[in-house]
Formats: sequence, C-alpha cells, structure tokens
Amino acid sequence: MAITATSTVVMVREKFPQAVVETSDFRGEQTIVLRPGHLVAVCTYLQKTLRYTFLSSVTAVDWLERVPRYDVVYHLLSIPNQSELRLKLRVGEGHKQREDHPAVPSVTGVWPAANWYEREVYDLFGIIFTGHPDLRRILMPMDWTTHPLRKDYPLSGFDLPEPHWGGQVPYDVDPGVGSQTMRTPFSRELNESRSKISQDQEPGTKKT
Amino acid sequence: MQQQDIEAQYVIEDSQVREDGQRVDTMTINMGPQHPSTHGVLRLILTIEGETIVKAVPDIGFLHTGIEKTAEAKTYHQALVLTDRMDYLAPLNNNLGYSLAVEKLLGIEDEINNKIKYVRVLLAELQRIASHLVWLGTHALDLGAMSVFLYCFREREMILDIFEEISGVRMMTSFICPGGLQADLTPAFDGKVRDFTSIFLDRLQEYHDLLTNNQLWIERTRGVGVLSAQDAIAYGASGPVLRGSNVVWDIRKAFPYSGYEQFNFDIPVGSNGDVYDRYLVRMLEMEQSLHIVNQALEGMPAGPYRVSNPKIAPPPKWQITGSMEALIHHFKLYTEGYRPPPGEVFVRTESPKGELGFYIVSDGSAKPYRMHVRGASFANLQVLPLMIEGRFLSDVVAAIGSIDIVLGEVDR
Repeated sequence: MAITATSTVVMVREKFPQAVVETSDFRGEQTIVLRPGHLVAVCTYLQKTLRYTFLSSVTAVDWLERVPRYDVVYHLLSIPNQSELRLKLRVGEGHKQREDHPAVPSVTGVWPAANWYEREVYDLFGIIFTGHPDLRRILMPMDWTTHPLRKDYPLSGFDLPEPHWGGQVPYDVDPGVGSQTMRTPFSRELNESRSKISQDQEPGTKKT
Repeated sequence: MQQQDIEAQYVIEDSQVREDGQRVDTMTINMGPQHPSTHGVLRLILTIEGETIVKAVPDIGFLHTGIEKTAEAKTYHQALVLTDRMDYLAPLNNNLGYSLAVEKLLGIEDEINNKIKYVRVLLAELQRIASHLVWLGTHALDLGAMSVFLYCFREREMILDIFEEISGVRMMTSFICPGGLQADLTPAFDGKVRDFTSIFLDRLQEYHDLLTNNQLWIERTRGVGVLSAQDAIAYGASGPVLRGSNVVWDIRKAFPYSGYEQFNFDIPVGSNGDVYDRYLVRMLEMEQSLHIVNQALEGMPAGPYRVSNPKIAPPPKWQITGSMEALIHHFKLYTEGYRPPPGEVFVRTESPKGELGFYIVSDGSAKPYRMHVRGASFANLQVLPLMIEGRFLSDVVAAIGSIDIVLGEVDR
C-alpha cells in the first residue's frame, strides 16, 4: 500500500492514540497536533517505518493571547513515497514573560538537519530544544538578549540599544556610551557597570 | 545566555590530544565574512592541522534582515516585494513560491489560467538559467578560471534584458504576484526570448569546452567535497546538491506546481556526490531549463494575465474610469488588501538553489500572521562541514562554490 499523507495520519492515530491531540486537513495539507512528550517517539516511527526521511523545516508561530502560547511546526517529506506531512506541538503554558523559555524535545537524533532549524527557532522565538547538541544563536548576534520573532517584540526593535550596540543603557542617562562599543561579550558588562541601570530592567522598558 | 557560555565560544583550543594519545598542534583560522570566495558574508571558523581541516564551523547571520518579521507588518501584496530580496539571484523563483502559497491560502488555484502558468514557468526557468550562470561564473572564478565569469555574465545580461523588457526592472522584478502577473507580456518579449534561446545552446557548449574536460578543472573538483546520498537527505540538502549525490528528486516532478506536469524535461543526477558532479548537474539543468523555455514559448496560450476576481487583482484601468464598483474594488485592494481565510499552507517549489518552501499562517486579516521561509541555501549550507572536514584547505572554496549559497536566503 502506498503511504500517503492521509494514510499516515490514520496510522499515527492507531499507533500512538495518546500522543495525538487532533488532526486537521486544510487545503489538502495534513496536520497532526502532538503532545510534546511523544514527539521523539512519533518522529522516530515516521522516519524509520514510514520513511519520512527528509525534514524540510522546523519553525514556530507565536499566538500571543493563546494558552499554550506557541506552535512548533515541523514539515516532513517522504522522498520514497512522495508524501508531505506537518507535525505541530503546542507549548508554553503560562509563558507570558519575555524571559520564559518553553522547552521542546529536540529531534536532531532523528533528523540531523534539525540542528540548524532548531537553533533558528531558539534564536528567534526563545524556545529551548532539550537534547540539542549545540543550542546557540544562529542569526542574531551571540550576545543578543531577546527573541525578535515573538509577537511582543516591536517591529522596529526596542527604544534602547540592544547589548550589541552598547549595552542596556538609555541614551539620556549615559551619553558617552555608544561611541566606544566593541562587538564583544565584554562590552556589555563594561557599559552596564558605567550606567546605573538595574540589571532587572528589561531592554526597551521605560524606567519606572 | 550566561557570560561564561559566551566566553567559551571565543576560547580557541590550539592543541588537541588524539584518541591514540598523540598530541597534535592545530591552528584556528577565520575565513570571512569579508572574503571573495564565500559568496557573500559567510564566516567559517576553520581548525586546521597543517593543510588539513579538522573542524569547520560556519557562522551565519551577518545578512539577517528580519524579512519574516517585516512580512508580518505588510499586506500580502506588499510582502511580495520582500521575497525578491532573499535569493537575490533568483527573485522570480521566490515570487513564484510566495504567489503559489498565497493563492493556495486564498483557494484561487483553479482560477489561474494556462497563460499565467506558462509565463510563470518560462520566467522561472529563465531565472534558473540566470542563477546558474552566476553560480558557474563565480565558481569558476574561485577556482582560477577567470574567463568563464565574463562569458557567463554576457549571457545573463540577455536574460536580465528580457526581464527589463516586460517589467521595467532588471533584477527585483516582483513580476509574478498573487493572482497572476504584474503586467501583460510586451510584443518584443517573444523575439528577445528567441534571440536568447537560439544562441544559448552554443554558448553552453562553450562553457563545456572551457571546463568539462579541462584537466585542471577536473583535478580541482573530482573527488572533492564528497557528500553521500544518505547524508544529503539526512541533513536536509536539496536541489542540485541532493541530485549531485545521486538522489532522483525534483519537486517540479514530484509535486508539479504551476503546470510543470505539462512540460517534458529530465532530471540530471550525479553519481559520486562530489563538486564535479554538482557542476555537471547544474550544467545539464541549464540545458533542461532551456528545453522548458522553448516548450513554453511554442505552446504559449492566449488569455488574461491576471485573475478576473476583483477582490484579489485590480480591475483593468478602463473599468476604473467608468465603473464605480471597479473604482471601489481598486481602492479597497490598495488600501486594505485581501483577507485570506484563517489557515496555514506550506508550498514547496524547486528554486535554482533547491527546495524553497513558504509557510504562511493567516489569522483572517489582511496581513500574514506568520511567514516562514524554508531557504534552500540555509539547509544546504549545513552540509558544508561534512564536505570539507578532513580535506585540504584549498578545497573549501571549491565546496562552498558547489553548494551555490546566497547569503540573502541563508540569513533572510
């Protein structure tokens, strides 16, 4: 029997009844919403048994008002069966703060390609992939503190410079900073110690 | 991230102890981001032992422009312009992928007529040739064959002239848009394309004469940067990189889009997965693309160049001056845009670099709630360490060139 996206959904439902939250079909594209705990088991089954050998992308969607807040989306492709499938996790219960990082199991063990994709999601959304071998920022500078693709991140960035541009320092408090900044991790500490800004203050917030 | 974690990344281990207990001295060198052979702003941190690369770590993000974030603040029609800027050597292929995704979201795929499909295919294939010509020129230039570069840009110029003829713009045309095309083809279009197709096969032969049997070229490329089929699939490589490793996979064949099922063409594949195979795959692809262009030109049907649905495409000018309803549609379209139903689509297309995927989430408003781009170069670059680790330093340039990255698409 040829494996299609529709038959895959049926097989996953039969094999992992407790893992599947719901499935949907929009414009002919099949989506399986999974519980995060079962992700690796389902992915291993899809990769080994149903031969979804190619991971096209891992990404996330931030639904700011919703609980759980984030969708983590995986697009799979089966080259032998010419079939495509989307997996989705809903994570981030109660993660309303900017510092909160919901955790998702990493699928790098199943598809090595997930390495960079997950780094990208971590970088831009702040979702942590547990078990990832090298979870570092990939697109933003290493000393960036926030996650730009979150919906509560303003489009034009924060009013204040990010550490990359000279530390967590408002222009009106310490005008000297900004003219002499180096792109090193140490400049941030240097600049922060020069100004009297509290470490707890979030970048971009007005001092109360 | 903790301070010590950041510092740890800057610590360079310059001597390592091998498994057999022998101590080896290595050197860590930096390549890029300002390096002529990294095809943009790619930075590589290379650990070398003598001339051999022990470890290669690509560092990307220097061209990160936040296109995905910006798209969330634009209407669907405005976001089209951003897609040009990603893979700036193949803007029309990006336009095509984006337009197909938006059309799928809107559910108007059936309204796209054959004329639009044919023009789209024709332009996408011309763009593929143009992109491959830049790749060939720069790849050969990296490996020391200077003249190929000049010849390639001569032919690319003809393709850019064709784009200028129909759209007025040479590179960032945005000519393919959701709902059809920006404008109708001009009368001179047909002749200009025929001028190009009549000479291109000969010119392709010239490149073959310069490189394919050139002993120097073979020495620099054959057996270099080998990537196995298994690794290529596991690491998400696509396009010519995947086909060079002997995997018969082309999205134009597997999931035909925009009427590709109506055209005859072959999928060239390599056998060893080395730089030479990827070179040959792209050379043969240009021939196949030319074949498709010829078929599209011969079979070009007549018809309107955009859908007649006034909610998506603006009504023609003569209606706007005469009909109140058309004027309102025109006004609404350019002030508000259209509102696709809530949902999500992921559309794959075969761009010159590989699998280009657009994932668009709609919440029912006039702006995409989320647009994610699966850049082919981003995934293809991931296999670079596999190709060069354990090889000589001079092969790095050959391997980078053979992946054909565009940093605009890697960093987005």
